[in-house]
Amino acid sequence: MRVNRFKAALALAAASALLLSACAESDRGGDDDAGANPDATFIFGAEGEHTAMDPMYTSDSISSRLNGQMIETLVTYTPGTVDIEGGLAESWEPDESGTVWTFQLRGGVTFHDGTPFNAEAVCFNFDRWHNQPPGINQSPDMSYYWQQFSGGFAENEEGRDDLGEPNYVSCEATDELTAVITLRNPTSKMVGLLVRQQFGMQSPTALEQYNADEIGGTPAAPEFSEYATAHPTGTGPFMFESWDQAAGEVVMVRNEDYWGGPATISRLIFRAIPDENARRQALLSGEIHAYDQPAPPDWATLEAEGMRLEVRDALNLLYIAFTQDHNVALEDIRVRQAIAHALDRQAMVDAVMAEGAEVATQFMPPILPGWNSAVPTYEYDPERAATLLAEAGYEPGELEVDFWYPTDVTRPYMPDPQSIFELFQANLEDAGITVNAISEPWTPPYLSNVQNGEADLHFLGWTADYAHANNFLATWFLRPLPQWGFDNQSIFDGLAEADAEPDEAAQTAMYEQLNAEIMEYLPGVPISHTPVAMAFAPNVSGVPVSPLLDEVFNTAQIDE
Amino acid sequence: MARFIVRRLLQLIPTLAALSVLLFIWLRALPGGPEAALLGERATPETQAAIRERLGLDEPILGQYAAYVRQLLQLDFGTSTQTRQPVLEEFLNRFPGTIELTATAMVIAVGVGIPLGYFAARRRGSLLDNLTVGGSMVGICTPIFFLAFVLKWIFGENLGWLPTIGRQSPGAGATHITNLFVLDGIITREWDAAWDAFLHLLLPGIAVASIPFAIIVRMTRASVLEVLGEDYVRTAESKGLTHRVVRGRHVLRNALLPVVTAIGVLTGALLSGAVLTETVFAFNGIGLFVYEAIRNADYPVLMGFIMFIAFTFVMVNLLVDISYSIIDPRVRVN
Repeated sequence: MRVNRFKAALALAAASALLLSACAESDRGGDDDAGANPDATFIFGAEGEHTAMDPMYTSDSISSRLNGQMIETLVTYTPGTVDIEGGLAESWEPDESGTVWTFQLRGGVTFHDGTPFNAEAVCFNFDRWHNQPPGINQSPDMSYYWQQFSGGFAENEEGRDDLGEPNYVSCEATDELTAVITLRNPTSKMVGLLVRQQFGMQSPTALEQYNADEIGGTPAAPEFSEYATAHPTGTGPFMFESWDQAAGEVVMVRNEDYWGGPATISRLIFRAIPDENARRQALLSGEIHAYDQPAPPDWATLEAEGMRLEVRDALNLLYIAFTQDHNVALEDIRVRQAIAHALDRQAMVDAVMAEGAEVATQFMPPILPGWNSAVPTYEYDPERAATLLAEAGYEPGELEVDFWYPTDVTRPYMPDPQSIFELFQANLEDAGITVNAISEPWTPPYLSNVQNGEADLHFLGWTADYAHANNFLATWFLRPLPQWGFDNQSIFDGLAEADAEPDEAAQTAMYEQLNAEIMEYLPGVPISHTPVAMAFAPNVSGVPVSPLLDEVFNTAQIDE
Repeated sequence: MARFIVRRLLQLIPTLAALSVLLFIWLRALPGGPEAALLGERATPETQAAIRERLGLDEPILGQYAAYVRQLLQLDFGTSTQTRQPVLEEFLNRFPGTIELTATAMVIAVGVGIPLGYFAARRRGSLLDNLTVGGSMVGICTPIFFLAFVLKWIFGENLGWLPTIGRQSPGAGATHITNLFVLDGIITREWDAAWDAFLHLLLPGIAVASIPFAIIVRMTRASVLEVLGEDYVRTAESKGLTHRVVRGRHVLRNALLPVVTAIGVLTGALLSGAVLTETVFAFNGIGLFVYEAIRNADYPVLMGFIMFIAFTFVMVNLLVDISYSIIDPRVRVN
């Protein structure tokens, strides 16, 4: 009797396994049809969950990518490049002063809810950003990019040192398809920054109907509006269908009336897979079609498994910052030069960085206008470093620096902080500098500590928000910052003037000159520019990858 | 019994209060917090100051604590700084996933572990016994994340039998009522959705079950061996009771007492296993959420989670004590 029962259990288990495999196989059926499938669903493995589907209140890349599928901007990048082209605006022109901008809009465009897209809608959006009420709406993490663009609001929150007179003055709809935007002062952020998702045009009807500006909850615990959680309404190639919070996915469907023609896929799903290894395995097992920024060590494995890697031009920078007022030795230019000469950046790039990475000669990447091929450079030369240190009055081993690096983090520009640190530590010690290694987790407290000037030397980097010299240089060198601990009025003023220069050619020349001046002064050492990739399943094509990581998937083709 | 339960529930209050103080001080004492995490490289000293003020991080710590407790009493755990959704809502969305996962793991661990341990003991020294003892050793020694990767590699990447990501197939569009996806599928008669959710539970369920399974097998085996040698078992047999009655009423019942206690303690292991496993399988439960919260210095989520786990832990142990008193009447009498 007992034996019989055992046999029965065994048979049941075997039958279940068979049934299971049969089901799994039937799910994967239909592999024989050739050609791109217009009814296909594209599944993207996102690094995490988005914060809000109202771009104005987001500053993270996950939300930007998601919102970019549904909501479009006036100006955009030609897919796959850093060249600005028309989006919802067909053309735009500043007046001579560079403060009055006339946008000619694309005709015949409607929002997903049927509201017409016109000059009034454009002005509604600008005025909405400008009129965000004091309080949580004006928190730096809530409306970061508008604050970057305009520097303030119609009515600024009291007691905020970081908000000033807004640069945005007004928007006027002079006819159905002409919007005239007036600024107080000319700036490179017009139109450079407007390519960002945060300046996406949304339906005035939907914004009002779903109370988009009403952020509820308490100051420490804000709650987004119904608009931002359930009704994002733009003009883009995909329309919002659902957000399944329990399953961690957002589903979008093709906008059949899209002005640029319907997308080549019918559905687009963003699935949150926070763990990098889990994303890679999901791609390998065919459960997602793409994920962004695979770790460089995985590139070869992914390609060996037949996955497709698309590598973008580098639009980022890793640097070592000197915090001069934290270690007075660094105030001596010879010491800064000695450190720069001591570092074998090429060897580090070859050993640690992704294929295609290059040593940086200045604080911005070469694909942007304003990059200067003739800046002072600091080749690897340990002897020169030793000589410079001796001239500055330091015996070998006498100069001591606290060198900080982060743990528990990889950034697109910094795949492996510890390895990079170890190579540079050895370089510096070879040149006779005593290095105190200090490592801390990224957040907290590394980031805030180095930004508040607690280190002598530290690693940090930047990935471009928009493709412009100003987005790199002005981030660090527009004013005195504790991270750098120096005061160089000539550089600060130069950057402010360059930003306000309306003539493009003249502006580019100014940035070239500034790059030379900055590298002469040497506030830190630019290390490298690293290309980042996107990984696709073998049967996926048609997505031009963008250096700004803002791909829209409406041209994706899935062969089945 | 009612008094026993009420007393245990009252004991929960000082436990949670003490925990909240400890956690609060510990988290607030960490240098640099969400104000740096929120904007990353984009933060400036000014924006950090503005965010600190907004989050009330500049208030005296006692004031912060008082505000926190006030919120807690209103069941307001704050808002996740990373997803910007209320912590409670996030938990209610995600905890059912973790319940499904740990329940699956428990069913596997108990459903297979107890019979296996029992039969191994009954046939001490047999091939089955040796395999069970050796296998459970491997189960204890294998790190969960490693087992999870191996399972994914075999059943997902190579055989393609089972899904390795998430709680349901992408775009399944299933109706959610309780957020227990299998149960939801049954309630709404969306059988496909229930089956789909069940398949998604299998691999992570096995991964989470591995350690509790191994412990349960070994404990059951040891315990049964001990009981089999007891006088009362021999007495029962000599009285002429059938094998079935002796085994069910005397051997198993007595042997299971320590195992049931262990199951309560193992809940902790299950939950910590769930954090790792959910991360590897992108299984949208509490564990995955906490993993992200740790990476992003998301204080409200971490606070809420630890309080929540403590609460769950105490409740599970209460249940264990109750079931203990059912299995062993002496506990009630004493």
